[in-house]
Amino acid sequence: MWRGDPAINSYVDDWVAPRMRSLYGVEVRAVEGQGAELVNALVTEREATGVRPGTASLVWINGETFAQMRRENLLAGPWTDHLPNTRLVDTASPIIGRDFEQDPAGFESPWGMVQFALIYDPARTPAPPRSIEMLARWIRSHPGRFTHDQQFTGMTFLKGVMYALSGGVETFQGGFDEGKYRVGRDRLLEWLKPLTPYFWRDGTTYPLDVAAMHRLFANGEIDFTMSNNQNEVVTKVRQGVLPPEARALVFDDGTIANAHYLGIPTNAPNAAGAMVLTDFLLSPEAQLEKLRTTVWGDGTVLNMAALPAPWPSRFETVMADAQALPRDVLAQRARPEVHPLYHARLLEDWRQAVRRGTP
Amino acid sequence: MTRGNAPAAIASLVLASPVVIGAAYSGLAAVGAVGAGADGLSGAALVHVLTSSVTWQGVAWTVATAGVATFLATAAAVVVAVRVRGSRTGRLLAVLPMGVPHVAAALAALLMLGQSGLLSRLARLAGLTAIPSDFPALVYDQAGVALVIASAWKEFPYLALTALAVLLTDAARLEEVARTLGATSTQAFWRITWPRVWLGTAPAALAAFAFLLGQYEMPALLAPSNPTALALLTYERSIDPMLARRAEAHVLALLALVISASIVILYARLQHRGQSESA
Amino acid sequence: MTRHRQRWWLAGVALWTLVPIAALVVRALARAWRYPQILPGAGDAWPMFGAAATGRLTEALMTSLVLAMAIGPASAVIGFTIGRAIARAPRPARRVGLALALFLVIAPPTALGVGLQVATLAIGVGGTLFGVFLAHLVPAAGYLTLFAVGIFTTFDFVLEEEARTLGARPWQVWSRITIPILRRRLAEAVVLGALVSWGQVALTLLIGGGVVRTLPVELLSFVRSGSDQLGALAALAVSVPPMLAIGLLQVGIRRTGATL
Repeated sequence: MWRGDPAINSYVDDWVAPRMRSLYGVEVRAVEGQGAELVNALVTEREATGVRPGTASLVWINGETFAQMRRENLLAGPWTDHLPNTRLVDTASPIIGRDFEQDPAGFESPWGMVQFALIYDPARTPAPPRSIEMLARWIRSHPGRFTHDQQFTGMTFLKGVMYALSGGVETFQGGFDEGKYRVGRDRLLEWLKPLTPYFWRDGTTYPLDVAAMHRLFANGEIDFTMSNNQNEVVTKVRQGVLPPEARALVFDDGTIANAHYLGIPTNAPNAAGAMVLTDFLLSPEAQLEKLRTTVWGDGTVLNMAALPAPWPSRFETVMADAQALPRDVLAQRARPEVHPLYHARLLEDWRQAVRRGTP
Repeated sequence: MTRGNAPAAIASLVLASPVVIGAAYSGLAAVGAVGAGADGLSGAALVHVLTSSVTWQGVAWTVATAGVATFLATAAAVVVAVRVRGSRTGRLLAVLPMGVPHVAAALAALLMLGQSGLLSRLARLAGLTAIPSDFPALVYDQAGVALVIASAWKEFPYLALTALAVLLTDAARLEEVARTLGATSTQAFWRITWPRVWLGTAPAALAAFAFLLGQYEMPALLAPSNPTALALLTYERSIDPMLARRAEAHVLALLALVISASIVILYARLQHRGQSESA
Repeated sequence: MTRHRQRWWLAGVALWTLVPIAALVVRALARAWRYPQILPGAGDAWPMFGAAATGRLTEALMTSLVLAMAIGPASAVIGFTIGRAIARAPRPARRVGLALALFLVIAPPTALGVGLQVATLAIGVGGTLFGVFLAHLVPAAGYLTLFAVGIFTTFDFVLEEEARTLGARPWQVWSRITIPILRRRLAEAVVLGALVSWGQVALTLLIGGGVVRTLPVELLSFVRSGSDQLGALAALAVSVPPMLAIGLLQVGIRRTGATL
């Protein structure tokens, strides 16, 4: 799993691990590893050791990583139906039941979900733009105050713009279509290229990652930062990374929501333990704790209707947390992810057409 | 050959083997034989990377910034070493930050030289600037100013250590000898010590330069997005969402390896020529 | 040079060396340090990291220490053995040996790391502390080989040869003659080898597979995620022990003179 956020680490190390130890006698040790690099590591492990057990028993993945791991036959399964708590999962939701339009097919279990949001400071920006169109106008009237990063979050932002400009996410659903992609991309570039001279640093350079964006925002160099998790603003304010006035903002045209999952590698040393852990992570107790903005603020994948008596109202209370964005607003504006190839192609074309930094 | 060379030779071979294995693996991965996304032998990755202007711009930018940083650090190290060789405090101060990691040096540079960094805040206090963008762009800039400064700062202690080592042993001894033969202090210094310090520090400078070429974290924190530094390009490719393009990361890694190897060969040639001239 | 001028030089070097470290100290002490604050505000002044973070840092500190203390002597032994052989070898072999040692030191982590990753996985120590130990040994021994070649180039082997003609066996020559003479340089070498291991990042990540957590690895994790306070703290944790070692042992700073 990614070990970069103290909030997530605290949840896993200080809340999950002790309970797993006392309830099931399973030692949970979280190990650093990001989705994209994971595939390389697992392939190298397999090439060098054959079928010997690897390092990780459970891996945190989604979307592209899932597709890549399936293609390289790195995931064990199907296994999710063995878990008692799987029946509580809201698989009917298009965000959870489909991972970047792929069917998990029991090879990965949903864990949590998040929604893309901009982050701004109401004191600096009392009237923030509420749609893509308004954003374009805002950028022009505030030159040098907006940018996005070069990695997943920045690309998610651009994808959101692409959806909005092409009549909504429905245009791109149903698998990858080269023709539709090109039209969408060209429309996006038409919108983007005239705007970039009004970006931070005249659009000649882009922050590498979200961390760099947060730094620029916190220090007043730019007026917006972004996150794939709408509640990250709360945890980051608590950690002092973002100023206390920072707030999340979800556009009226909708933003991308996606779920993240857990998978078991084919060379897992302890697949059984991994399944026990996953089941625990899907328990209402664990999902509720994870949902609290004082802990992680990661959305739940459970179906409220499937939960027994006290749970739905408990979730309700936590979700009504003043710090979080209103749940119905979020749900109404959530847009699912489309086929991973759209993201991959957009990244490539953005680099060539806008950043010009790719061989 | 004397006794005791057998264990030495075996140890050398064992130590060198990872580089050979790594080069071989990268080579195979570069042509699509192994690695994530391997799809069968193909020269596509090689062609794509080597014919792209972005690759060479990245290489040029990285070589230039690393070169300037190393030159500045070496010059500073030699001058400072000469100046403080007589003072224990001075020697200590020069060498002290040797354990500070590259990431830390880059973070400190960001904190101090960013447009919202300490220097900018002092400028605002002095009334010279009002907002961050009034301050010159030293980070994420095309010239790589903060990157050069941070890199030079990082390499300085190691180079100063080497320069001091030459000054305090080899050069000191020869200077003494020259003086007993009648040379003045100044003559002894400029004719003997000064060239010797530069020569003695050169290998360390080459090592520092080569190390900077492959360093990722400093450009990750300080470099612009275009031209893209070699290490950043390599990393980007290695996590590319399109698996088929990950082979290009191995091509870039091999390119970096070739550049390092060329430096070593160049150094060996120069040393050979230097030795045969003085012989 | 006049005392006065030397004081200016000392002040200059002191500023150059210490100011960036001071910046890290300030950042480590404050939860936030934002523009345009010259110093962090009083409200942010107290560190705000939880048990998890300090626990991680302590564990990482232990791991780094264990590795460094093992690598120091191991790499010194290997480096001196190889360095000595290179220094005594005829000219062509000597150039090749030096070139190889230099190459080990500067080989980019992408190539060296991948090779080590494959090798350690194949022998079954991938993702283990021992695997990382082996991985660190490569650049450390490379560095120390270069270091040792420098020493043995000006070493007077006559003493060793005389002892042997007087009937001493090889290990006696080593323990009675060579090592006592080189004692100080050996100590320096052990410290340098430990420093090489202490500062390794890429190799630890690639071979350790995210399981072996050293201080530099944690440092990287914090900085990449934007947790600058924890990052600065980790940076100081990584930087201070070598500074202490250098200060206390005065590695390379003592006037060793021309007694070799």
